[in-house]
Amino acid sequence: MNRSATKSKGFHHFLYWGLPILAIALIIIGWITFSGKHPELMPEPQSVWDRFLLTFTKPIAKTTLLGHAWASLRRVLLALLIAWGFGICFGILIGWSKTAKAFFGSIFEIIRPIPPIAWIPIIIMWFGIGEFPKILLVFIGTFVPLVINTSVGIEMVDKINLQVGRIFGGNDRQILKEIVIPTALPSIFAGVRTSVSSGWTTVLAAEMLGAKQGLGSLVTRGWQGSDLALVLVSVITIAIIGALLSVILEKLEKVVCPWNN
Amino acid sequence: MEQLKTRMKVDNISKTFFGAKDYFTAVESVDFDVYDGEFLVVLGPGRCGKTVLLNIMSGIEEQTEGKIFYNGEVWKGLNSEIGMVFQKLALMPFKTVIQNVELPLKFRGVSKTERREKARYYIKLVGLEGFEDYYPKQLSGGMQQRVGIARAYVSDPRLLIMDEPFGKLDAQTRYQMQEDLLKIWDKEKRTIIFVTNNIEEACYLGDRIILLSDCPAKVKEVYPIQISRPRDMVSKEFLELRTVISDNTDLSI
Amino acid sequence: MDKQNLEVKMQSWQRNQKKENIKYILLSIAGILSFLIIWQLAVMLGFIDEKMLPAPTKILETLIYKINNKPPDGNVLGVNILASLQVALSGFLTAIIIGVPLGLCMGWWIYADRFIRPIFELIRPIPPIAWIPLVVVWMGVGLQAKALIIFFTAFVPCVINSYTGIKLTNQTLIDVSKTFGAPNREIFFKVGVPSSLPMVFAGIRVALGNSWSTLVAAEMLAASAGLGYMIQIGRTVARPDIVIVGMVVIGAVGAILSMVLTRAEKYFLRWKINR
Repeated sequence: MNRSATKSKGFHHFLYWGLPILAIALIIIGWITFSGKHPELMPEPQSVWDRFLLTFTKPIAKTTLLGHAWASLRRVLLALLIAWGFGICFGILIGWSKTAKAFFGSIFEIIRPIPPIAWIPIIIMWFGIGEFPKILLVFIGTFVPLVINTSVGIEMVDKINLQVGRIFGGNDRQILKEIVIPTALPSIFAGVRTSVSSGWTTVLAAEMLGAKQGLGSLVTRGWQGSDLALVLVSVITIAIIGALLSVILEKLEKVVCPWNN
Repeated sequence: MEQLKTRMKVDNISKTFFGAKDYFTAVESVDFDVYDGEFLVVLGPGRCGKTVLLNIMSGIEEQTEGKIFYNGEVWKGLNSEIGMVFQKLALMPFKTVIQNVELPLKFRGVSKTERREKARYYIKLVGLEGFEDYYPKQLSGGMQQRVGIARAYVSDPRLLIMDEPFGKLDAQTRYQMQEDLLKIWDKEKRTIIFVTNNIEEACYLGDRIILLSDCPAKVKEVYPIQISRPRDMVSKEFLELRTVISDNTDLSI
Repeated sequence: MDKQNLEVKMQSWQRNQKKENIKYILLSIAGILSFLIIWQLAVMLGFIDEKMLPAPTKILETLIYKINNKPPDGNVLGVNILASLQVALSGFLTAIIIGVPLGLCMGWWIYADRFIRPIFELIRPIPPIAWIPLVVVWMGVGLQAKALIIFFTAFVPCVINSYTGIKLTNQTLIDVSKTFGAPNREIFFKVGVPSSLPMVFAGIRVALGNSWSTLVAAEMLAASAGLGYMIQIGRTVARPDIVIVGMVVIGAVGAILSMVLTRAEKYFLRWKINR
């Protein structure tokens, strides 16, 4: 390798590591400068940190930050489990049977475009602002992507796999269990991943509009009390948990579908 | 001379596909016999009618005209005595080799110990002993085809239909598989219907060759082959046979 | 097998196909009708409290009423729809205009990727709803504020999908172009971008769904017009019929936007073979 090539390789390394560091530095400097000039619009990093620590000593609504995070998570997980059960079964039904798809699918197609958040007012009217309506809301938000991904996964099973099943004497139920569903598993799992991120977003919305506990309720509290630092603490916590859920699911996929990749 | 028993008779079979504006005939008035225990090769150009014909013979597709006779009687639909090796493989990627091979038995409700035992026998027969717990994607193309063959054998069929099973393999593996297939056939004799578009392969493997025309597929000629096995691809008689056939075909190779 | 025979068979096949298609269409209609009829009967027979869930006929009545009347939220239906569309589309289109080229550039030029990535990764994990309080504090509740919220929601999938789409460009195509002496910029525009279009459209589709959904949330939390606002008012004055009309219209507009996008996709991806 001649000298100019080595030089450009060195330059490349410099930019490769230098640019992200520069970007992060700019963000931090920007934050500090902006919050210095307008503390009412954007709390300084220091005050955010202080607010974070304060949540441990001075709990809000008798719960610490972790307690709120757990309240949110608990709702999501409960709703998800129910949604997975019903959603996957329903998805298999309308993916497998053309008749079922025609009859049930039509109602589903009409309900589908309604964003889960648009359900909030009617559900509050029917059930108030307790635990059940929130879980119901998350259920609605997670049910839809699950059904879609599952039914598409089932419909897209290659015809030849079905032929294999029939040639070797399998009846419909056997073909479904041994061939079709496992083939659709990656799709179903994609639906699971979407449903988790959708559920996390929906639970936040539900909490922001009326809850005593949960990260969404902290956001609203901070917002209405002009406690921006609290808003930031909650948003950052929300983001971290969301990212963690995503990573966990990625790892889980490798376990459930080891033959992919 | 021993009277050969006819296992299956394809009688004036035609298949036309209908569309919104017009129709398309893939198979036209195909007529031939399949004798018990023979290695029958169906040779024809690619992309036309061969797979459709096989699907009709195995019962997964229905013909537009004509009849299929099995053991002398008219037969409709699936036949549990027919096994099939597919061109596009169709192994389940989420099942291991042994799980793939035992699948036909699982469908029949055979107990786990019994079907595992049978599966192992055929896995050994095709030369894949030791690979029982591998996933298909960990195997080479030739090995995957062997799994397909073992799976077709495990249901104990009288008739084995093979749809261009070596089509996607490289030349080297192909020659090896042809030899191995004959060895397997020797050990476990079944009636084999083998479809290909390769004249060499047809001449090497078959007792008889049914030559099909280009679209729509019709029977052009039936060639009984008298050369004894093992055949030599460069022997005089082989090359003569090859020339006769290639002169008559719509094929390029 | 003569031609006449085949013609006859073809016609009978086509007739059967038509019959089958009609059967499925009828089933779909039957599905929807059964749902509506059961709902209507449940309300009429008193199983469902009318004050909680009005009958379908009442919903229809309210829908027609809202087309020309302002109460209870202060706008006719059309004005609400327009207000929502205005906000949603301005945020959505801005996100496409900025996000797609950004994602493409990040996927193509490694330095762009390294510089922008940290900023992007900061924005990505924040759920769109969480932006609402922040943006509202910074910019109030005007059109720009809400459009900015929508922008954040739509921005993320546009960037991610454009990035992935162009990363998946067939290396062989790139290599062939290089052997023809094409400069990097040209390969980007003539090979990279077109081949990434399917994924870009998939990202735009997700962005559309997100935008519409977040819009409703934003309007429910901070607005004076729009469909989300209408629903919120409907709740506060205990008018479930207004709420449901709002929901249905939101769904319908969302579906129409989606169909428009599909049309555009079919136009831009004319060359794609659908298997």
